[in-house]
Amino acid sequence: MKQLPPLGKEATVRLSRQGGFAAMQALSRPREIDFASCDERQRGQICSVLEGCLPFASADAGQGDRRYYQIELHYRENEHDGEMLLQVPEEQAPGELVRLWDKGELL
Amino acid sequence: MHNSTMRHGFIPPYILSRIIEHGSAPQRERALGTLSHIHHLLPNPGPPNRQPIASVLPERDLPGEPRRSIHDAGQQMLLPGMLARIEGQPPVGDAGVDEAYEALGKAHECFWQVFGRDSIDNHGFPLIGTVHYGVGYENAFWNGAQMVFGDGDGEIFNRFTRSLDVVAHELTHGVIESEAGLLYFDQSGALNESLSDVFGVLVKQFSLKQTADQADWLIGAELLTDKVSGSALRSMANPGSAYDDPLLGKDPQPAHMRDFIDTRDDNGGVHLNSGIPNRAFYLAARALGGYAWEKAGRIWYDTLCDQRLAKDADFVAFAGLTIDNAVIRFGAGSSEAQAVRQAWTDVGVLVL
Repeated sequence: MKQLPPLGKEATVRLSRQGGFAAMQALSRPREIDFASCDERQRGQICSVLEGCLPFASADAGQGDRRYYQIELHYRENEHDGEMLLQVPEEQAPGELVRLWDKGELL
Repeated sequence: MHNSTMRHGFIPPYILSRIIEHGSAPQRERALGTLSHIHHLLPNPGPPNRQPIASVLPERDLPGEPRRSIHDAGQQMLLPGMLARIEGQPPVGDAGVDEAYEALGKAHECFWQVFGRDSIDNHGFPLIGTVHYGVGYENAFWNGAQMVFGDGDGEIFNRFTRSLDVVAHELTHGVIESEAGLLYFDQSGALNESLSDVFGVLVKQFSLKQTADQADWLIGAELLTDKVSGSALRSMANPGSAYDDPLLGKDPQPAHMRDFIDTRDDNGGVHLNSGIPNRAFYLAARALGGYAWEKAGRIWYDTLCDQRLAKDADFVAFAGLTIDNAVIRFGAGSSEAQAVRQAWTDVGVLVL
């Protein structure tokens, strides 16, 4: 079972929608969330959304023009920068993730 | 407590390749092991094996006859949706349903008459399409068993069934899956996308009986609404020139290897770097003249079906095989083989 790394105040999350026949940078609408600007409750909520995506993450998302959500996590642990990349097929993406990407809102 | 290997989750193979090229010895070793594992996990899926409901489509009498069924998702995102039109039925009056039915028929006809290929798997695989998928859905895709088309949002995109080459592009993804199974990332993914564009435009040109110099070589010329400043989604003749719009930006496709885009987005830029092999095909087809499906198309089809084409082939490997197949079909030193080699040279893909 995949796990999220520890996401402290220095972490950032970049969400984008990728792929598709009409793949375009403008349509990917990347959204970057800086944990330093979130309070503890918000950080917990975001981590909860991301944990909910872990079972659906797939290395072969995007095949045949299917769209997918890309989650890029940048974090720091033991004095080292770390990165984690998750790709979640559109048809399996939890609604909370889509809302966070689309509106920047948490339920 | 985290396991350090698990923590990094999924690293796309193109990033692993970069680590192998540029990383330290231990990094390279770990990346090589992981990449080898990924390749083990990603075999060629082979012909699609999901079949439609047995009662939906009648058995056909002769090879080369299409077996189409078009379904209506009713703006939901459930597949395949309600059956709307089946093989042999007259138009139903729904533009999306009828466009998908006609376009799949034209794509099937081109593959059968030009290349002798009987549908996606060359064994009469049923052509299943779903239209009206989602609300304002701005995409079309192949899901491993069928094709799916959105209606577009009406602001940027029209219905995705409006462009014959788009429907044929999605069908070709199924053909590629049945043949080379090109992995959908980095250069092999760009080749996968390019081949879908190539056979997409060939279906359109075959349908219109256009020669290479008469064709527009555009992908999705009917997709963009009047509100968008652009002629199509992609241009095979001049990658990077299809649109230039305040909202969408400028078409970023490269036309030459010197402009190859190194990115982790879009499965490693599969819809971007496909511009390079797209232009190579265009240059070969224009140099050879006449109908593009007769020579250049034939060479590219032979290459797609060539057992030597590896699922992780890069541009150079693919280019080498197109030249080889030109020699096999037209002879060593033939103008066809020379034109294909020159086309690849002109886009910066150099075959020794």
